[in-house]
Amino acid sequence: MSQVQARFFTENKKYLIDDVPFSIPAASEVADLSGVINKLLEAKNGQDLQDFLKVIFQKLCGIYYLETWDKTEVVEIEYVEKFTAPQPEECIMHDDWISSVEADSEWILTGSYDKTARIWSMEGKAVMTVAGHTDVVKDVAWVKRSFSHSLLLTASLDQTIMLWEWNSERNKVEARHCCRGHAGSVDTVAVDPTRTKFCSGSWDKMLKIWSAVPTVEEDEIEEPNRPRKKQKTEQMGLTRTPLMTFSGHNEAVSSVLWMDAEELCSASWDHTIRLWDAETGEQKSTLTGSKVFNSISYSPLCRRLASGSTDRHVRLWDPRSKDGSLVLLSLTSHNGWVTAVRWSPSHEHQLVSGSLDNVVKLWDTRSCKAPLYDLAAHEDKILCVDWTENGLILSGGADNKLYTYRYSTCVSDAGA
Amino acid sequence: MTGADIRLSDEQVDLVHRLQQGKFGDVNFNEYEVFRSGFPLCWCWNRHRSDSNRICHLNICSLDIRNTVGNIPMEWYKDYPHIGYDLEGKKIFKPIRNKDELDEFLDKMENPDYWRTVQDKMTGADIRLSDEQVDLVHRLQQGKFGDVNFNEYEPAIDFFSNEVMIHPVTNRPQDKRSFIPSLIEKEKVGKLVHAIKMGWIKPRRPKETTPQYYDLWAKEDPNSILGRHKMHVPAPKMKLPGHEESYNPPPEYLLSEEERLAWEQQDPEYRKLSFLPQKFACLRAVPAYSRFIHERFERCLDLYLCPRQRKMRVNVNPEDLIPKLPKPKDLQPFPTTQSLVYRGHSSLVRSISVSPSGQWLVSGSDDCTVRFWEVSTARCLKTVEVGGAVKGVAWNPNPSICLVAVSYDDTVVLLNPGLGDRLVCTATDQLISSYEEPEEVMDQSVQWAVAEGEGHEQGHRLILKHPKTVRQVTWHGKGDYLACVMPDNGSSLQVVIHQVSKRRTQNPFRKNKGLVQCVSFHPIRPYFFVATQRYVRVYNLIKQELTKKLMANCKWISSMAIHPGGDNVICGSYDCRLAWFDLDLSTKPYKVLRHHKKALRSVAYHRHYPLFASGSDDGSVIVCHGMVYNDLLQNPLIVPVKVLKGHTITHDLGVLDVTFHPTQPWVFSSGADGTVRLFT
Repeated sequence: MSQVQARFFTENKKYLIDDVPFSIPAASEVADLSGVINKLLEAKNGQDLQDFLKVIFQKLCGIYYLETWDKTEVVEIEYVEKFTAPQPEECIMHDDWISSVEADSEWILTGSYDKTARIWSMEGKAVMTVAGHTDVVKDVAWVKRSFSHSLLLTASLDQTIMLWEWNSERNKVEARHCCRGHAGSVDTVAVDPTRTKFCSGSWDKMLKIWSAVPTVEEDEIEEPNRPRKKQKTEQMGLTRTPLMTFSGHNEAVSSVLWMDAEELCSASWDHTIRLWDAETGEQKSTLTGSKVFNSISYSPLCRRLASGSTDRHVRLWDPRSKDGSLVLLSLTSHNGWVTAVRWSPSHEHQLVSGSLDNVVKLWDTRSCKAPLYDLAAHEDKILCVDWTENGLILSGGADNKLYTYRYSTCVSDAGA
Repeated sequence: MTGADIRLSDEQVDLVHRLQQGKFGDVNFNEYEVFRSGFPLCWCWNRHRSDSNRICHLNICSLDIRNTVGNIPMEWYKDYPHIGYDLEGKKIFKPIRNKDELDEFLDKMENPDYWRTVQDKMTGADIRLSDEQVDLVHRLQQGKFGDVNFNEYEPAIDFFSNEVMIHPVTNRPQDKRSFIPSLIEKEKVGKLVHAIKMGWIKPRRPKETTPQYYDLWAKEDPNSILGRHKMHVPAPKMKLPGHEESYNPPPEYLLSEEERLAWEQQDPEYRKLSFLPQKFACLRAVPAYSRFIHERFERCLDLYLCPRQRKMRVNVNPEDLIPKLPKPKDLQPFPTTQSLVYRGHSSLVRSISVSPSGQWLVSGSDDCTVRFWEVSTARCLKTVEVGGAVKGVAWNPNPSICLVAVSYDDTVVLLNPGLGDRLVCTATDQLISSYEEPEEVMDQSVQWAVAEGEGHEQGHRLILKHPKTVRQVTWHGKGDYLACVMPDNGSSLQVVIHQVSKRRTQNPFRKNKGLVQCVSFHPIRPYFFVATQRYVRVYNLIKQELTKKLMANCKWISSMAIHPGGDNVICGSYDCRLAWFDLDLSTKPYKVLRHHKKALRSVAYHRHYPLFASGSDDGSVIVCHGMVYNDLLQNPLIVPVKVLKGHTITHDLGVLDVTFHPTQPWVFSSGADGTVRLFT
């Protein structure tokens, strides 16, 4: 059996071992390497540690290529603390496909193809049904959460975005504003960090910025001769018109997000990700891919963009690179379109992705060849994923089920 | 002579005439020679003397008046009363002849001597030939001599024999030159002598009796490489002796008794060994090899009788035979994998169409429904039931109109699906409802009706009742005209073009040749393509004339697609072929692709990308790169890039329709398994 020289290192000071090369069998599995590290730590610290090492990252390529490694070189293997696998918690049944999900620490908001949005408690209890759209709800977002009064947004195929106010004490929801202006289905909304504005992206290739502050006065309607529409707005809240419109995309906008209070990022079917100045509406830079983008996510921790497109790869981008289309990394393990990606809010290396192949994958960017975990609970296409601050992973899809997983990330590692 | 009447033959009459003209009886006779000798005159005299009693009307006086004009043409005297002059210089007058044809005939009938009567041209008198004269004529006719007594076979006297007579033939004295030596001879001899002296003339060499040989290869350069060196075929090598040939072979090579018997009974030709291995105690005991001469002889026979031929093997690298095509990897993007499956139909999906924005997909199926799908998620957003198995669906290509044409049975329904921009949908409804009935109602073959009630709620807007089953519907690029195909052989109403805004129907063709399979509008120019079983006809709609007729070279065209540039057409056929026509190049296919195993059902071009696809009964969709260059000199580049499989074959039907996404390099295919699939 061939042996390779390996040196183990870690950034976690707690689990340091001596910096000497070891000779390990080339056919070692992850568990074997974990055993080696555990033995070393045991010998060093004199205490019985649990098997905490799940994946050992090699510096450049995955552990799975250890056998092909040059026998004369010393392989540098990074090891990290093992995370416990995500624990499935709830399975929340819907009436129809789940198009979008957004959760905070208390409530889960889902948009569905049955033209409604729903609010669920963390235990999977249906709290509220937000009905009012005349067509499929494509995206939902929380604007403001407070103890009793919350604001939420729903974007729909009927070309409108609705701003709702939800009184959780009386459990009553009220449509405050109906945002009209898009000429196509509104596929995505994103609320800015200051919680006063939000941006929407639509099939009509436009990005529009709206005010997220509810007012009692109706905005001026651009076209006054619309009596029929007016009647409708009386029922469904005051009509609101966009503050700003960004045009520049050549195809439908599929995903939009705020990088910070001044910077917007949008992904489109025209194979580009564009960065915009939210104040001036100026286009700052363009990242060009080769496929249609379905979803993007930005992590302020590692300042990277992750994108899911109509192929099997999750791609990581550096939005600050000026030279355009630089893909930092491709994470390849899915077998279908990647429909949703979401960075971990607390860990700079981890993200979750959902795909048409019915599997949600949890990735660590240090291991690009294989995901950390496959969450194969869904029976049909996954359309949305979310990751909350308190370590809850949510995924919804075409099997009408919303799954939640508890995933305890190592907080100490996140700050490094 | 005999007294019998003899009818004169033509030759005889000719002879008589000749004699009358004073010519000789024998045609071949040389009269001038005879005249010189004066022989006939004597002969004439002799005749008269011998047979004077027989001459009746030639009296002695008539002999005297012989004409003296000589041998001249007698027609010179044609106009004169006389015919010449006698010896005394008196005119000889022509006898009075007034015989006409009747007299001549009577004379011929009555006169027994008419046949022997001739006219003397010199005197103009009729002469009755005597028996001797007639006899003479007969003799001359037979080629005999005129004189009866002439002996033509008299013995010849040999005057100039080999015998030297004492008397010379001539009495001439000998010449002087016969006595003196000849100077010319002397000169000739002198020349010969001089030539011999000078050695110019040599004595004749004695003939050599020994045979002559020459060295065939004497002039050959021993270092040059000759053809036979190049073509050297080495002699076959002899088999090297093995253990069995040894004088002391190992015991396993020695034959046992049964083996030896078997060997002996075997035919020598079939023996494995031509000899029996033998064991000798020592080399000294080995006898002389008895088969030596025989073996050498056989070797010689092998060397010169064995047929040797150099087989010229053509060394062609098989890779060179493959045409140079770019690798599919370099031709990306094109669809490679199946991404989405649109499930919901319970029967085969005959036709699909994508909205101009690329957000929606419509599919028509045999389960009598039309379904509208969201492209990106494969979500069925709407299902519209119609009254029959849907044969064709077509989304209006105009982005400002939201209409879908659906054909089932003999009906075409224009549906407003209510998807996409609300303003566009309401504008479309207004456009249809704002139609005003024209004052004069035209008699149309197609009934237009506005949908009401439940149908209107489902989205039905206009219902067009056709006289026959509608197989295909297709829109013009502007979205106002709609062409429908009703295949019916021999009927004049196979293709109709509807104008939706005016609710008018026209039949563009007075008669259709053959069974129309599909039609298509040119994307830019006012041309109309009609595909019948074997031909595609291109009509100019403005000039109303046939512009081109494309020969597809296949048995039965199934489908057709026009390149968005408008200069190229692809045709799929039921005999597994796809023909690419370059309209600028020829009316014959520029290229024929036979990649499918079974009949092609549908072909499609991409609107922007250089791609085209074909769907077939074998359940596969083949995507090809079809680059059309603006440069007229460069032919289109056609490279098959991908075979997409996914549909299961149901009832021997695979893929029924293919269509491309309007903006992305994605292809949709609908199949007999009731699914629509998206390949990206």
